[in-house]
Amino acid sequence: MTPRWIATGLSQDLPKAVAMAGHWQGQDLAVWRSATGRVQAWNDRCPHRGMRLSHGFVRGETLACIYHGWVYGADGVCKHIPAHPALTPPATIRVAAFACVEQDGVIWVAPADTVGAPVALRGLQPLRSISLTCDVAAVLAVEPALSGGDALRGLVQIGGQACEVCLLVQHNAAGLTLHALCAVGVDRIAASRWVEDLRRRAERKGAA
Amino acid sequence: MIRLYDYVLSASCYKIRLMAALLGVKLDQEAVDFHPGRAHKSVAFAQLNPAGTLPVLVDGDLILTESTAMLVYLAQLAGRDWLGPLDPKSAAQVQHWLAFSGRLAASLGMARLHDMLLYEGDIDAWRAQGHAALRELEAALSERRFAGGVWLVGDAPSIADIACFPNVALSQDGGVSLDAYPSVRLWTRAIRALDRFVEMPGIHRLHELRPAPEVA
Repeated sequence: MTPRWIATGLSQDLPKAVAMAGHWQGQDLAVWRSATGRVQAWNDRCPHRGMRLSHGFVRGETLACIYHGWVYGADGVCKHIPAHPALTPPATIRVAAFACVEQDGVIWVAPADTVGAPVALRGLQPLRSISLTCDVAAVLAVEPALSGGDALRGLVQIGGQACEVCLLVQHNAAGLTLHALCAVGVDRIAASRWVEDLRRRAERKGAA
Repeated sequence: MIRLYDYVLSASCYKIRLMAALLGVKLDQEAVDFHPGRAHKSVAFAQLNPAGTLPVLVDGDLILTESTAMLVYLAQLAGRDWLGPLDPKSAAQVQHWLAFSGRLAASLGMARLHDMLLYEGDIDAWRAQGHAALRELEAALSERRFAGGVWLVGDAPSIADIACFPNVALSQDGGVSLDAYPSVRLWTRAIRALDRFVEMPGIHRLHELRPAPEVA
């Protein structure tokens, strides 16, 4: 069964007043953090001309489109159109919002009517998001210590020590993105090199 | 005054305009009709640069035709902090990224020339080589972040960052998305947030750093 909540990024990669691209099951999302730190995920299309809102810019609690500067407030409703400064935009000019929660340093998205919370990931620290051009089977084939489907978990060898890792799977058109976490206290540079090595091995396996 | 033979859409020319702006150096910019005129391949231009490439920087009897050499020259003249730390490891790392910027030009840069200015060649190979280079850059910048750093070498921006920035920031013009490279994206934001940063077509400033025009 397809999970409702899907990891689309790590909190550390989305500072305040920044927008980035995300997605849920092929649905492109603009994921952005306001100046006060609130994270939201919206349909990644400006209702005006279809520009990706993830290319936009954040001022305060609003996200503005890079193309013509239309400004959207926290409810997704257009608040301001620079070319028509005196106009109060109608409330029907609105960007569809997804459910979005930040938990354990991970940004999770789900359809708006989703109830419940993503799985908790205790004792783990965020590491990196990396994209692979292979499938999950290739990852599991080269790292037998890992198991799972939507979250690959296990004890792996990093720097000569057994280390708990969790790789949250996000499928995309070219393969998959793994949002990697590792046990608190593990050297993240060593863990990052392990992830790079895992990707090289898995992609080689996937291409074989 | 230092003269730059320049083309507005060239990533390598922008590299020099950006470095000069950050250093506060004024350039005498001479626009060359790169596309569609191919003036850089003319016999007359070969007198200046036999390789027929842009940019070319001329200061008195000095003629430079490699953009990384121009970065070194401008930084030596006007802001030696931009050369990066001078200890052996850091100095070697700066050289690494200057050389690496050539790989970015040969991959992401060629993909962009293919898509924008109709260059012929193996677009799939250029994009694949571009992704391979971006993966290396992402890994290096992620390690820098884990150590509390922002820039490629040391605690301040250097010619290493400026050398690599343009072709990375323009990668989407060649059909290579930065969506999969979060550390690279944050690094490009840090460069765009620098005091005296200048734009080029395809690389805009961070609008959020200034108040909205209506309330200014």
